[in-house]
Amino acid sequence: MTAENKISKVQELVYEIRVGDVMKKNVITVGPQDRMSEFGKILREKRISGTPVVDQGRLMGVISIDDFIRWLAERQEDCPVERKMTKNVRTLYADEPAVQAVNKFDQLGFGRFVVIDRRDEKLVGIITKGDIIEGLLKKLEVDYYDEQTNHRTIQSFFDDVLADKAALFFQYSVTGHDFNKAGETASRIKTTLKRLGIAPQIVRRVAIATYEAEMNLIIYTEGGEIRVRVEPHKILVRVEDSGPGIPDIEKALQPGYSTAPEWVRELGFGAGMGLQNIRKCTSKMGLMSVVGKGTQLRMNISLDDGVASETN
Amino acid sequence: MGSQVKLTELVRGLKLSVRSADGDLEREVTGGYASDLLSDVLANSEPGNLWITLQIHKNIVAVASMKDLAGIILVNGREPEQDTIEKAEAENIAIMVTEMPTFELVGRLYGLGITGTK
Amino acid sequence: MTLEDVRKILDAEFIACGELLHRDVKTACGSDLMSDVLAFVKPEGLLLTGLTNPQVVRTAEMADLGAVCFVRGKKPDKQTIKLAEAKNIPMLTTPLSMFESCGRLYRDGVVSCFECGK
Ligand SMILES: Nc1ncnc2c1ncn2[C@@H]1O[C@H](COP(=O)(O)OP(=O)(O)OP(=O)(O)O)[C@@H](O)[C@H]1O
Ligand SMILES: [Mg+2]
Repeated sequence: MTAENKISKVQELVYEIRVGDVMKKNVITVGPQDRMSEFGKILREKRISGTPVVDQGRLMGVISIDDFIRWLAERQEDCPVERKMTKNVRTLYADEPAVQAVNKFDQLGFGRFVVIDRRDEKLVGIITKGDIIEGLLKKLEVDYYDEQTNHRTIQSFFDDVLADKAALFFQYSVTGHDFNKAGETASRIKTTLKRLGIAPQIVRRVAIATYEAEMNLIIYTEGGEIRVRVEPHKILVRVEDSGPGIPDIEKALQPGYSTAPEWVRELGFGAGMGLQNIRKCTSKMGLMSVVGKGTQLRMNISLDDGVASETN
Repeated sequence: MGSQVKLTELVRGLKLSVRSADGDLEREVTGGYASDLLSDVLANSEPGNLWITLQIHKNIVAVASMKDLAGIILVNGREPEQDTIEKAEAENIAIMVTEMPTFELVGRLYGLGITGTK
Repeated sequence: MTLEDVRKILDAEFIACGELLHRDVKTACGSDLMSDVLAFVKPEGLLLTGLTNPQVVRTAEMADLGAVCFVRGKKPDKQTIKLAEAKNIPMLTTPLSMFESCGRLYRDGVVSCFECGK
């Protein structure tokens, strides 16, 4: 395939993806007759900032945490949510091209849209800009295995996306104790960052740091989440687990300190180098841990000054 | 190939620092073994071999002693843990350290006539 | 030196990506501890190791290594070979020990790919 062909293929793909392909389908909803107090409970339990209000599949409005706070402040009696919800809801149709949706996000400055079916106007999902980008990247991963030669075009495409100040978000779950799969997440992150046209030295540093973090999740915990956020000037990685925690963080950060059992050493890990290695690869790193609760590792890799800290 | 090199000569020639059993450096080295896997060293090293490793845990002394190795060189600037040193003194196992990584140290030992299993 | 030269010097055989036999090899390291490799190794080097699990390929992938050579005749399982093929990482296996392999390559001009240790 020639370079030109490839470019047009990327663009095609962008128009090919529909809102319905990338939206979140399992939406939490409330009914118009549900009480505000119940809605409050849902907000707290589900940690969401609002829900569509739906009556027999039909979208009646949306109710948000702001509506809830206003109701609280007014100290009014409990009432059905339909009295406090916003009725005039901006929606997208599931069959609209995702790119058109991106434009609407920008024009209207909304963070999310409710998605409805064009024929019966019933609610089918909810979508954020992040969902679109995530979906797009997933597609690219499928269709673009050898786009290395084509870095620049894809980069300029994502430059445009980035220019909207949109951050790219990726989230991965890592299963504990699964040694054979260990490294898959770091590998995926590496592939995606390369695809975004990020400089190879930076990609390498993020890859090494997330790989070390992933290994720690696999060795010491039941598993956890790795979240990557690509911003125009930096990459942020957050690794969280609800494992045993680290009793003495200072000690854990010392090179050579390790509690890895012998079988881990026999597999080539447990030199006590991982955290130090992560520090070396990142511009900033923070480690927080509570024994019995879990561990959170944050890394920040600057895209601007990054090249200096490791020779290549 | 049985070389006649003694530990003292290597310590001098390669500027190794000795961390334990410095009175026992007259031992002759029969060859080299480089590995960071204890099970591998247990299974495959030969008596009189000089062991090159990154491992600093006290188990290395037990392995060296069991296999009657000539000594241990820790590479890449690693320092033995305190109880590793104590155990090595007790068992009379010479531990030496160097800033060199495995590849370079082995290369230079090889240049001095110490070989590995083929 | 090329990978093909390495193959000859170490009496090795290719087990993945043999078509990359002309790839340049200037630097190498010998290690069985992957974090150490990840911490100190420069890109494009050759890794000599006695480990054969998939993490070796992952390490090579993350650190942009040029190739991997397993020592003591070890071979990884099919799955791991497939992973290396998918990631375009050439792999060889040599019957020689780590010590002998490092020694020969150093003798023939390959230098360490570790950036100085601590
Ligand atoms: N997510 C975690 N949960 C609990 N303990 C952890 C976690 N991450 C690290 N630790 C503790 O910190 C120690 C040091 O971690 P580090 O990654 O630096 O080295 P290691 O995993 O022991 O060895 P290496 O990373 O070189 O293979 C570990 O041995 C472990 O005790
Ligand atoms: Mg670790």
